[in-house]
Amino acid sequence: METKIGLEIHCQLTGAKSKLFCSCSCEYRGKEANSNICPTCAGLPGTLPLLSRRAVELAGMISAALGCTVPEEIAFYRKNYFYPDLPKNFQLTQYNAYGITSMGVDGIMQYGDGKSARIRRVQLEEDPGRLVYEGSMETSPYALIDYNRAGVPLVEIVTEPDFADPKDVRLFLDKVTSLIEHLGVCDTRLEGSVRCDANVSVGGGNRVEIKNVSSFADVEKALRYEITRQNSMASRDIEIKSETRHWDDARKLTKESRTKEEEQDYRYFPEPDVPSIVLGSEFPSLVSRSMPELPDKRKERFISKHGLSPHVAQVLIDNKELADFFETAMSAHYLPREIANWIVNDLMGFVDEQQKEERSILAGLKVTPGHIAELARLVDEGTINRSIAQQVLAQAVKTGEMPSQVVRKTHSSRIDDSDELGRVVDSVFKAEQSAVQDAKSNANAANFLLGKVMAATKGRADPKAALELIHKKLAEQS
Amino acid sequence: MELFRLDAMQVADGIKKREFSAEEYIQQLLERIDRVEPKVNAFITINRKEAIDKARSIDKKVRDGEPVGPLAGVAVSVKDNICVKGIRTTCASKMLENYVPPYSATVVIRLDDAGAIVIGKANLDEFAMGTTTEFSKHGATRNPWDISRVPGGSSGGSAASVASLECAVSLGSDTGGSVRCPASFCSVIGIKPTYGLVSRYGLVSYANSLEQIGPAGRTVADVTAVMNAIAGSDRNDHTTLDMKPDYSSRVPDRRFRIGIVKEFLSGADPEVAKVVYNAADILTKQGCKCEEVSLGSVEYALASYYTIAMAEASSNLARYDNVRYGFEMSSEGYEWNSYYAKVRSNFGEEVKRRIIVGSYVLSSGYYGKYYLKAQQVRSILKQELKSLFKTYDLLMGPTMPILPFKMGEKIDDPIKMYLVDIDTVVANLAGTPAISIPGGFSGGLPVGLQLMADEFQEQTMLDAASLFESVTHVQRSPDL
Amino acid sequence: MAVTKDQVKHLGWLSRIELSDDELALYAGQIETIIKYLDKLDTVPLQEVKPVVASKKFSDLRDDVAVEFEADPLGTSYRKEGFVKGPRMV
Ligand SMILES: [Mg+2]
Ligand SMILES: [Zn+2]
Repeated sequence: METKIGLEIHCQLTGAKSKLFCSCSCEYRGKEANSNICPTCAGLPGTLPLLSRRAVELAGMISAALGCTVPEEIAFYRKNYFYPDLPKNFQLTQYNAYGITSMGVDGIMQYGDGKSARIRRVQLEEDPGRLVYEGSMETSPYALIDYNRAGVPLVEIVTEPDFADPKDVRLFLDKVTSLIEHLGVCDTRLEGSVRCDANVSVGGGNRVEIKNVSSFADVEKALRYEITRQNSMASRDIEIKSETRHWDDARKLTKESRTKEEEQDYRYFPEPDVPSIVLGSEFPSLVSRSMPELPDKRKERFISKHGLSPHVAQVLIDNKELADFFETAMSAHYLPREIANWIVNDLMGFVDEQQKEERSILAGLKVTPGHIAELARLVDEGTINRSIAQQVLAQAVKTGEMPSQVVRKTHSSRIDDSDELGRVVDSVFKAEQSAVQDAKSNANAANFLLGKVMAATKGRADPKAALELIHKKLAEQS
Repeated sequence: MELFRLDAMQVADGIKKREFSAEEYIQQLLERIDRVEPKVNAFITINRKEAIDKARSIDKKVRDGEPVGPLAGVAVSVKDNICVKGIRTTCASKMLENYVPPYSATVVIRLDDAGAIVIGKANLDEFAMGTTTEFSKHGATRNPWDISRVPGGSSGGSAASVASLECAVSLGSDTGGSVRCPASFCSVIGIKPTYGLVSRYGLVSYANSLEQIGPAGRTVADVTAVMNAIAGSDRNDHTTLDMKPDYSSRVPDRRFRIGIVKEFLSGADPEVAKVVYNAADILTKQGCKCEEVSLGSVEYALASYYTIAMAEASSNLARYDNVRYGFEMSSEGYEWNSYYAKVRSNFGEEVKRRIIVGSYVLSSGYYGKYYLKAQQVRSILKQELKSLFKTYDLLMGPTMPILPFKMGEKIDDPIKMYLVDIDTVVANLAGTPAISIPGGFSGGLPVGLQLMADEFQEQTMLDAASLFESVTHVQRSPDL
Repeated sequence: MAVTKDQVKHLGWLSRIELSDDELALYAGQIETIIKYLDKLDTVPLQEVKPVVASKKFSDLRDDVAVEFEADPLGTSYRKEGFVKGPRMV
């Protein structure tokens, strides 16, 4: 059955210093409850919203990067609903109606291999406060409210229902994440800085909203669960209700909301205290001027200028941290392919899945771009071979020692000194008399001897040089 | 000398010349307040201590030869929907009975800088919703000219306190006539400035797109001085315009072309109309040219006004859920929706009515039918006024179509009450300035004259008011 | 159009205002009268008219500077470790 998935992605503009409509700091994390508020974001009577120019600029960058049309004039609307995390009991947001549009509309974004999704709109809005419960929401005798987050600028990206496969959703979200990281508008590693709601319908049935998904990795899981649930209901001819379901992170399933879902009537109308903002015709050029190199361009450069494979380039740019790591390493020793391969194929093996999900791949990692650059150089110069290099990397990950230091300490540099190698070959010939006899008539036995040499040198021997020596010695003896 | 009788400019002058001290003046006013308040009830809060402290600091500055500002020592009452830091701001509502703002409105800071003294917080209709100042948690204010009658509203406490000589000037807020209506009923001057001329930061919102803070006073010179102190752009209010005007209250040389709005007079009480025609005669004698004009879309003005005002109000007042500030009522044991519904049932009757109608006109499917149409009517009205102001410097009519009426007379019939706003809402919808000046009396009751000008033409309005004031001697304070 | 008590009740719910039976009855009648009056708007020919919109230039918006508010803006005494104690959710 045909599955249609649409997304609503909320992304905090942590790249801004102040809240969307007041001068309180955007850095609310780790602060004492209600210590990061002022009369305006606490919704006190008589206060007025003062729109931040920077937030508009950042939202403009996101819109442009998502291929949206940015209008010459934007306006804000009030979305009226009551909820304990809303200081004014309405949210200042944007709404596309009556000739007024949000920050961006009608975009399209390519992702994966030749796939694309349409962006319906990009809107700028304020984050609500935070509710904390003693125990669970159901049993807590009160809601504890912290307004520190209230008013932090959020960009909401709404897609058309252009996804059919949760795997594509994942690829798309990775792309969006990388994009906002590259734009520098949002530190995606901060808890709660990016959130995603999804809506799913199967076989043209009713739309079900899934909320409360706290990580992008879980979006895929939540969607798989929900699609299976809807399919199995449809196959039993049970009608799927149009509803909002919450993702239960602990049990990994979607469930009906416990709070009664009222028919919502948001009574939108234009915010009178924020006049409509004339961005003017210079705005797009202002935005493009402050726009850094975006992931697609960067990938292209990695491929064409530095000779990376499309796959490796993709892995790097999917996470800005990784791409930056690569570029720093490369600037130490220009060995792009070698370095990229070490990062993508080897270094990633040491990063646990959890960290990958949280997009803080390099946090706590003792290996710096300098380490990888040096490792690549040692291999490139032939000081160590690849399998030794892998062991060196493992050691560096553990201790943070530089690769050259590890090599020195473990005497693991490649033995290419022919005297030393000759002595090893001599002793192997002495120990393996019958194999030596064999080898004179059987080429495979020579490889056996080489294996013994490699084992005796713990892999440090240069296999090519060792084999040459073995053949030479066999020839001498025959 | 009875210092409380002095106008603002006389007070500032006398204090600067050390004819009397600010403290003596304030003491006399506080005594006057104690004497007349039982009859008038113009105040919700009286700032005795703060006022005396400020008076002393002004006296000290005068003694030390430091500058004290153009309104030095002048007592001002401030409508209790305008925030004064550290002093409770109730909006005449149970919902804010304990609310003490941690910041001051821009206009309050500017008055303070000009040397004025906030003597108290003036009574109003709850959240400024009303035309009579009867809808107050703190009891109705009475008309000082006849205490069985209403003083008008919603800034009834502001106008009544000025008329009763309890202060020299006052700040009110005008959403649909809320400064001009009580100014008219109490025979004082009241101004609704051009939208965007005076900062609303610190004014508790009722209908944001319509309202402006404006002064009430007994002379043109006094309200001019207050306008000079408060007008001008404010970076705390995005809707203010980038300007800093300086008005004068001299009698002008020029004579004005004045259009008398037919629609304002046709619906007016004949007694009221008589005073307006008489005023037109006086102005004509002074060389002004007065003729009748028509403002056709007045017919739709009230429907447009109430749609917008109630819609915006329903949203503005959503924040009063008693969680962050408010009155004593623990939420323990309540589910949040039922707690909100319970505490919010403490709004007064008129406020609840407007919130409900506001929710109705904004609810799904109705936006285009009401709110959007109402905004379009504003455009039409604006265009119509623009074209009239090409020919006329000013438009004139009564401020209120009727004389001050008895308390309790209209309070139970909302539509009847709304209809009396017909002449004042036009300026709010169009964003243009308007002034109500004492026009005369009818059977001992005041009649206000309304002058309207084009956007930012406050000076023209003040000039005409000065001219009228210089040739008429309308009594401005009653015997109490 | 008649405004029913049920409609007023729903509007009361949308606005989170508990209304007594007497209030429902009173308001239903009054609101019907008010809405009828507002229906006047339907008779204005407005097709081509743009609504009034104030505007502001992008460059005049607030600078992105963080400033700490020195006082505690919350008046409520229902607090716990800095949090505001609100009613329970369910
Ligand atoms: Mg949103
Ligand atoms: Zn703030």
